[in-house]
Amino acid sequence: MQILLAEDDSETAEFVARGLDELGHTISVVSSGVDALHFASTEHCDVVILDRMLPAMDGIAVLRRLRAARIDTPVLLLTALGRIEDRVEGLEAGADDYLVKPFAFSELAARINALGRRRPMTELQTEIEVGPLAMDLLKREVRRSGRAIPLQPREFRLLEELMRNADRVVTRTMLLEGVWGFHFDPQTNIVETHMSRLRAKLNEGGAEDLIETVRGVGYRMRCP
Amino acid sequence: MRAFLRSAAYRIAFVYSAAFALAIALLGLIVFWAMHLAFERQLEGVLRDEASSLVLEYRSDGPSELRGAIAEREAMRSSNALFYALFSPDGRRIAGSLRTDRPDTGFRTITFIDPREGPDRALAYAVNLSDGSTLVVAADREQLEQIDKTVLAMFGAGFAAIIVLGLAGALLLGSYLRRRLGAISGAAEAIVIGDISKRVPIGSRGDEFDRLGGSLNAMLDRIAGLVGNLRQVSSDIAHDLRTPLARLRNQLEAGLREGAADTAQQEVIRNAILRVDEVLSLFAAILRISEVESGAVRLGFQNVDLSDLVRDLAESYAPAVSDDGGSLRWTVEPGILIDGDRELLAQATINLIENAQRHTPPGTAIQVTLSRRNGGARLLVADDGPGVPAADRERIVQRFTRLEGSRSTPGYGLGLNLVAAIARLHGARLAFGDNAPGLVVTLEFPGVAA
Repeated sequence: MQILLAEDDSETAEFVARGLDELGHTISVVSSGVDALHFASTEHCDVVILDRMLPAMDGIAVLRRLRAARIDTPVLLLTALGRIEDRVEGLEAGADDYLVKPFAFSELAARINALGRRRPMTELQTEIEVGPLAMDLLKREVRRSGRAIPLQPREFRLLEELMRNADRVVTRTMLLEGVWGFHFDPQTNIVETHMSRLRAKLNEGGAEDLIETVRGVGYRMRCP
Repeated sequence: MRAFLRSAAYRIAFVYSAAFALAIALLGLIVFWAMHLAFERQLEGVLRDEASSLVLEYRSDGPSELRGAIAEREAMRSSNALFYALFSPDGRRIAGSLRTDRPDTGFRTITFIDPREGPDRALAYAVNLSDGSTLVVAADREQLEQIDKTVLAMFGAGFAAIIVLGLAGALLLGSYLRRRLGAISGAAEAIVIGDISKRVPIGSRGDEFDRLGGSLNAMLDRIAGLVGNLRQVSSDIAHDLRTPLARLRNQLEAGLREGAADTAQQEVIRNAILRVDEVLSLFAAILRISEVESGAVRLGFQNVDLSDLVRDLAESYAPAVSDDGGSLRWTVEPGILIDGDRELLAQATINLIENAQRHTPPGTAIQVTLSRRNGGARLLVADDGPGVPAADRERIVQRFTRLEGSRSTPGYGLGLNLVAAIARLHGARLAFGDNAPGLVVTLEFPGVAA
């Protein structure tokens, strides 16, 4: 993917750039808000990583200008401020995702993957298929190789997140945000519990486990 | 009435007006007495003058002329004039109409028979004449008594008016004092429940109360500054240590990606990452508590459907609880709305449910109940576990408090501290009680302001 990283702290920038490069992405790094706005409006990018505090023009202002110019490249906002109202402000300015510094690189990588491959029409999708799994979003039904699997609402939402991001890692915090709407870590095993129940239901009868645990990071739905 | 007695403001006002009334009564008594004496002296003067003029008549013209003069004066007397009597040396009344026994000489109070009213009291002045007879001039005391009565009545009415005015003044003064002091204690109470920015309102008069309020506010500013510093320092430490820890974690991750496929080494690195994550989440919890305690979140308060939230969380946690061998049931009254922060309310509810799950033996039943209460809401999280001894219930909300029995369970003793901070932020009351057996935690939210 083509990724623009706007970050004025050189240490963070270098570390993120190196990590993303290792994952096979192409990274352009700028260190001011004006450069970020210029680059994002003239060059093609799949994802923009925007630090909230930038010299010359802050991240929120850059984001507002981009959205005003109808450039809807997915934007992930990085911030040292973890306060609730800062997150709300970021999302209202048009950010697609929000990550509080300091962050784990694996978390950033997972979120960038999810943003970059987000298909535009996902909202209108009524069916998702991954391998032997078929999910009907209207009837709220899941079938594995034609066999219906009854799921609780939370388990259904959990599976939906995994299937939408098939073959990509979905982190625990992404699941907490997406399924439960928590933008904080309740320091609980709620995700693990639901995941183990979901797996038990999907794998009933000794079928192959479709969900892979990525230790210390999250989960991935295997795409055969 | 008890409230009146307990109020120092009313007590001071009442005592003050009582002392004032007492002083007025004392002054009135003195004035009354002085007036009474003056009138009596005046009357005595009149009697003495009358007697001397009759004695003069006796001396110049003799006893028969005296009798004539007495008869003459009695004949022309008006209703309020004087009474006369002349007694012979053997005590018989030989002239005058004053029907009484012969009094001793000088001023005497006597009883006589009033022709119109019967026995009556009078002030009499008796002088002995040279022939041994006694001349008595008397005045009915009624006039004097009438004056006394009038003065007393006027004074009594005045005193009653003073009492009523004094009482009204005391009530006004008392309620004024209470209002001024109430403003101060109101500010203090608001600070106690967590609104540390609250200050005593100060009027424009610059009176003692305003000056007191001013010094209290200056003191509060100073305390708030110190508390702010302390909070800032602790969250700064947590905040500043997060960056190097995150870098450490990232380097460990990089090591994991780049390192050889030596699984034993990778295992060590993975464990190190988990430890770093624990510390990071502890710092996140500390920062979160200080964010909640700062009260800034209150600006983003919205109407939250607490019923939906609690039901949703109970449904989410029930599987986790039953996987651990316990049970979670819930009774939720629908449609309860409160003003608040949805995520923080969720966090508080989760912490309470998790506490009930973590600090109890397997097989414990947890009951979550949400109901309307006094226009607000009451959330109960009860379990039938071992409970918390009454002596420890105050302590468990403090930071890093972990009771003996829970040393082995995961956590840092921040959960209930965060719940308490969230409760304060929402103006809610957090209480711990005996579920006999077990612990019941109550969160009582005030109603939504209309």
